[in-house]
Amino acid sequence: MNKQNTPFVNQEHKATKNNLTIAVAGNPNSGKSTLINSIAGSRLQVGNWPGVTVEKKSASFDFQGRKITLVDLPGTYSMSPYTQEEIIAQDYLVREKPDVIINVVDATNLERNLYFSLQLLELGIPLVMALNMHDEAVEKGFRIDEEKMASILGCAVIPTVATKGEGVDRLMETAVAFTDSFEAHRPVVISYGDDIEKAVSAIEKNLKDHPDILAGHLPLRWMALKIIEGDARAIENYKAGQYAAVAENATRHLRSAHGGDLEALMADTRYGMAAGLTREALQKPEKRKSELTERIDAVALNRYAGIPIFLLAMWLMFKLTFDISGPFTDWLDGVVAGPLMRWAAAVLAAISTPGWVVSLVTDGIIAGVGAVLVFLPPIFAMMFFITLLEASGYMARAAFVMDRMMHAIGLHGKSFIPLLLGFGCNVPAIYATRTLENPRDKALTALIIPLMSCGARLPVYVVFTAAFFSAYAGTVLWSLYILGVVLAILMGLLFKKTLFRGEAPVFIMELPPYRMPTVKNLMIHTWEKGKHYLIKAGTWILAISVFVWFGLNLPWGVESKKDSYLGKTGQILAPVFEPLGFGTWEAAASLLTGVVAKEIVVSTMGEVYVPNAEEANEETRSLGEDVREIAVSFGGAFVDAANNVFSTFGIATMSAEEEEDTAGLKSVLAKTFTPLSAYAFMVFVLLYLPCFIVLVAMRHEFGTWKWAGVTIAYQTVLAWIVAFIIYQGGRLIGLS
Amino acid sequence: MTLADLRTGKSGIIVKIQVSGALKRRLMDMGVVAGTEVIVGKVAPLGDPIEVRIKSYALSLRLGEARQIEVEEIKNHE
Repeated sequence: MNKQNTPFVNQEHKATKNNLTIAVAGNPNSGKSTLINSIAGSRLQVGNWPGVTVEKKSASFDFQGRKITLVDLPGTYSMSPYTQEEIIAQDYLVREKPDVIINVVDATNLERNLYFSLQLLELGIPLVMALNMHDEAVEKGFRIDEEKMASILGCAVIPTVATKGEGVDRLMETAVAFTDSFEAHRPVVISYGDDIEKAVSAIEKNLKDHPDILAGHLPLRWMALKIIEGDARAIENYKAGQYAAVAENATRHLRSAHGGDLEALMADTRYGMAAGLTREALQKPEKRKSELTERIDAVALNRYAGIPIFLLAMWLMFKLTFDISGPFTDWLDGVVAGPLMRWAAAVLAAISTPGWVVSLVTDGIIAGVGAVLVFLPPIFAMMFFITLLEASGYMARAAFVMDRMMHAIGLHGKSFIPLLLGFGCNVPAIYATRTLENPRDKALTALIIPLMSCGARLPVYVVFTAAFFSAYAGTVLWSLYILGVVLAILMGLLFKKTLFRGEAPVFIMELPPYRMPTVKNLMIHTWEKGKHYLIKAGTWILAISVFVWFGLNLPWGVESKKDSYLGKTGQILAPVFEPLGFGTWEAAASLLTGVVAKEIVVSTMGEVYVPNAEEANEETRSLGEDVREIAVSFGGAFVDAANNVFSTFGIATMSAEEEEDTAGLKSVLAKTFTPLSAYAFMVFVLLYLPCFIVLVAMRHEFGTWKWAGVTIAYQTVLAWIVAFIIYQGGRLIGLS
Repeated sequence: MTLADLRTGKSGIIVKIQVSGALKRRLMDMGVVAGTEVIVGKVAPLGDPIEVRIKSYALSLRLGEARQIEVEEIKNHE
């Protein structure tokens, strides 16, 4: 081993280091995140990589008296970055120089996993390989000679079964021990063959003066190999462009011998090495057993059964997500709107707080907290099922089955699931777009999600259809849902040709074997995503709720809603809605508050049209009664959730309770709207900008307000145009 | 012939990838390199994409991409 080959290696390494950084890298589907969970468990911190929205998981803990920082790198197939995730992984490894890399390798899929391992070894960082899913490999009759692998690669190879925690302790001990005798564990340089090695040394000679290499940032050999490969991104990223002439010279012979395609030569060589290593170290049984995965896929991807099975799975997921979470949402809503508000009001009154502060705290802040909380149950439920689909391997199949259809409108097969969830609630649907790896597919999907008519719009439809279209309410309802879908398709096509023009989406996706997800993993993933929502989106939602409160209650001492800033804005905006058939300040103000949550359109209408009907009787209750009530209703939520799971599915779940208190409103509406303007209004509610929680979710998921801004703009314009066409078109053909 | 022309259950040896740039690199990183054997596994219910077995794992790709991959069919493959 030539020391000159890896001068970047930390010079400051002492015999023992007290703060160690361990990077965990591996292919997607190698069980990497299960292994991380097994090592770090609840100590995992989830955040984002700087500047991007790719999830970053890390954990700090003490191990054998030392401080370990474990960094989970996004799943990566190669060190030639293709996706955002892979760019992050590459950049971290090259620039941050972890003390040791744990490379998680799927023992049942050695060759392709080793292709990445070989590239990791080029970095010259000590490497410990976790030969994961070792039990599966044994079951398949694979015999893997770990010692042989270790000696060829110059790293440690530890068999692990992450789902059962087997081998994990040994893996960590080995990784830590490696840092103690750093020099001894520096990976051996694996030869790429004389021709390539000649070019490598020629380039290395010149590279040595590169400032980043002198500063110990860049692994010399790795950079030289990247230059030979012509990895444009790496060359630009690490300012290696100045070596173009050197590379040209050094590779002339190689290029003439290999038809000029050095990129292919390097990939071929690495795969050749991976195949060679696999032959050396892996013995497969003579006869290949028909695998469980193939047997399941024979049904799940069947020409005729594939789509029905997929639709059934989706129906189940949708039903379970919203039916299980629904009672808990109601419970949280009840607790916040009832006892919590009463207690806060009582406490504030006891310390003689001015009325407006009481209102700000209860109607602004506590209502805002409530708005955050009510989305927790569906987000948790959705994240649970999404994790289940991904961890089991079915997500990739779902994309496979649906891709043809989704591709036709410029989307990816995986886009179907977020769009479907959108019918329940757009907020978890936006979060579900994270299953799409490509930023283009993800943004395009998120942009059209709000056109899926969510559950919160239903109360608006219910009130209006009951008032105007009671004879054919069902047809009117369905027409709205279908209008949303049709417009989503049209807008998808439009965005594909405008905002995302020239970005060719590709679909090159591994279909991983089916695997049984572990309960622990499901729980950790679900909890983390929910927690993330609570902290990140929660703060925004709270702030905006308070802002809206001010809109409703300023200027000071405002008596009627008409004179509040909101009412005044409604009056200003009313003429805009005139051509749509509902140019009243009441309608405009209701639409404005609908930005908080679309069902609020109905409650605002209740307040502005029927002002005296709203004051409910204040019940007096003791703290004890309240607490008992909360506990009893929480138990009730479980019962309801269980009942929902077994009861048949219907979308009209919310209509029954809305029915009671809207009778007065309906008669007022009948006077101010015509059936035509009522329909135009419903269409407007369907299409105009989504509630701000969806917008905050978009900001949270994309790390920028850009897509939320595009959504606000296009949906408002779209809603106006479509409502205009319906109202004016209807009048032209004589409807009223 | 191209990978898209290979019928279900048939196998072939990859000869050449016609595309260039990031897509080619991706395909190569996923194991689609010259000399490798591929078997066409399943076709999605709507006819596209397809599943191929390569390097002992399952890869799915659209016919559009498969048409860019030149293969030589293996005849009399037991």
